[in-house]
Amino acid sequence: MIIVETKNLSKVYNPDTVPVHALRDVNITIEKGEFTSIVGPSGSGKTTLLNMLGGLDKPTSGEVMVNGEKITGMKDSRLIDFRLKNIGFVFQHYNLIPVFTARENVSFIMLLQNRDKNEMMKRTDALLEQVGLGDRKDARPKEMSGGQQQRVAVARALASEPKFILADEPTANLDSNSAMNLLDIMERMNREEGVTFIFSTHDQRVIDRARRVIKMVDGAIAEDTLISVEAANQ
Amino acid sequence: MKTLLTIAWRNIWRHPARSGVLIAAVVAGLWAGVVTVGVLNGMMDQRLNNLIESELTHIQVHHPEFLDEGYSRLFIEKVDEIAAFLKQDERVKAFTKRTITDGMLQSPVKTSGVRIRGIDSESETRTTNFHTNMMEGEYLDSSIPNAVIIGRTMANEHNMELGHRVVLTFEDVSNQLTSSAFNIVGIFESAGTDFDRRNVFVRSSDISSILYDKAVFHEIAIMLHDEPFAQSLAADINQNFSGITAQTWRELSPELNLIVEFGEVMLYLIMLIIMAALAFGILNTMLMALFERMREIGMLISIGMSRTRVFLMIMLEAIVLTLTGAAAGILLAIFSIRYLSSAGVNLERFAAGIAELGWDHMIYPIMSTPEYVTVVIMVIVITLLASLYPAAKAIRINPLEAAKDS
Repeated sequence: MIIVETKNLSKVYNPDTVPVHALRDVNITIEKGEFTSIVGPSGSGKTTLLNMLGGLDKPTSGEVMVNGEKITGMKDSRLIDFRLKNIGFVFQHYNLIPVFTARENVSFIMLLQNRDKNEMMKRTDALLEQVGLGDRKDARPKEMSGGQQQRVAVARALASEPKFILADEPTANLDSNSAMNLLDIMERMNREEGVTFIFSTHDQRVIDRARRVIKMVDGAIAEDTLISVEAANQ
Repeated sequence: MKTLLTIAWRNIWRHPARSGVLIAAVVAGLWAGVVTVGVLNGMMDQRLNNLIESELTHIQVHHPEFLDEGYSRLFIEKVDEIAAFLKQDERVKAFTKRTITDGMLQSPVKTSGVRIRGIDSESETRTTNFHTNMMEGEYLDSSIPNAVIIGRTMANEHNMELGHRVVLTFEDVSNQLTSSAFNIVGIFESAGTDFDRRNVFVRSSDISSILYDKAVFHEIAIMLHDEPFAQSLAADINQNFSGITAQTWRELSPELNLIVEFGEVMLYLIMLIIMAALAFGILNTMLMALFERMREIGMLISIGMSRTRVFLMIMLEAIVLTLTGAAAGILLAIFSIRYLSSAGVNLERFAAGIAELGWDHMIYPIMSTPEYVTVVIMVIVITLLASLYPAAKAIRINPLEAAKDS
């Protein structure tokens, strides 16, 4: 089942002055349950592509379909609501709400979805257990390590039960152990619960775990490689 | 909403020093503003009550030309009929008749222009509280013939004391100059030294017998149970009697009316000045908070927080921040005014200057509940206005801010 699809997606920054082609006719499809890395050198367009897939940025031309619905050209308020219901985000800098505890950070997105309070608290606790932070529920971001904060961010992204999760350089600020631990969690979520992950990264540890690697060069897809589960696990 | 309030409250305490300074500024500003307004209210209220309760009263009846011309012959013809009318009117608390003429007071030291006020001390005491101003002697209630009471200022200027005699010269009803010696039986000290210098009090019967061959009265001063009835009673008197004019204190003393209106404007003026300073404080604090949290707000919009909720979050933050200070400031002001309304604010150091203007040197501040409510509403409105710009700026934040490095 196709979750995300792009058609001739292009993005040009400064079209009237010094045009920078960040994306050139990108056509990709992401199936449900994929664990995909978008890789490439700096400036290759991987973050721009991720932003387009998440509806955070508007393409110059082309379109993005999420779960069969065209999000390009969608009204801003509708797009925000669409993101709330369909897309999870994990940022490089964790971006947790500093005045909230881990539990509040995770449950906040469900509050925005107007979920039942009991269900919300159960799900929050379960997610924090899954990411190994059952004993850090009441800690605030500044009381946690980078790895722990990023795990809270993953729990938050999963909390809204999105169609897919976009993770922009999720391990870039983590030490090796934290990075491996985070990847283990995300891989397990993908494998056991079928959560679709799309990463932009140039971290080899992430690339090595991916089951599909889309390589970008100068805003265009240079390679799109499917890796077998066995190969990815080796 | 509860969550937004929680975020707002916690965000305020992200930078305790910064928020603390703003809250302290709000507390100090509101406290100072409210107490200042309270003191001004107290001053004006006392001035108003002093004048109305000690001399002016709520309504006065005169011959239509008396106030402009001041001649003794312009007395009220139908005094008894008007008195009978006033006696049966339930709005009237008390009234008194006065004989008034302008003249000269001569002492061995000097001569001064004075207004000679002939009163009946018994009905005057029921109507006004002028008798409370007596500092020495009696209030024209003994049988000493041709008694006069004079102000402390005049007594000092003429170097006179109780038992001394002065000569009062004035025109009778046929415009003939007439003089008579009067014995000083009392010395008063009202709130205004100018009044004390220009007014003397004698028995109405004494002065009336010199003015004419029958009792004449130039003024009927009426005190009501409730001031708001003044307008209607004055109209009724004017409708029922010809050859007289009944006027309320507002018409008789436009400057006093101006003071009352000015007092109402002062509340808004003082608070507006304080609020304007407050608005810049709120604006500055909220903008600083916003610039620090661009990435966080970008993240909130990215994950699906609507811009309306972001707007509300920023507005709530400003409101919670300001109202925290406002609540403390107003509470402090309430306690201060409660204390000062009984202890008083002593302006004795400036007493001479203040007395010249007719004000008491002990001020008892007052603030009414509607005035407190007005202040709270002003704080809320100013806060909303001051936080509109940061909130409007917040909702324009691009969600891509979430991915930025710093």
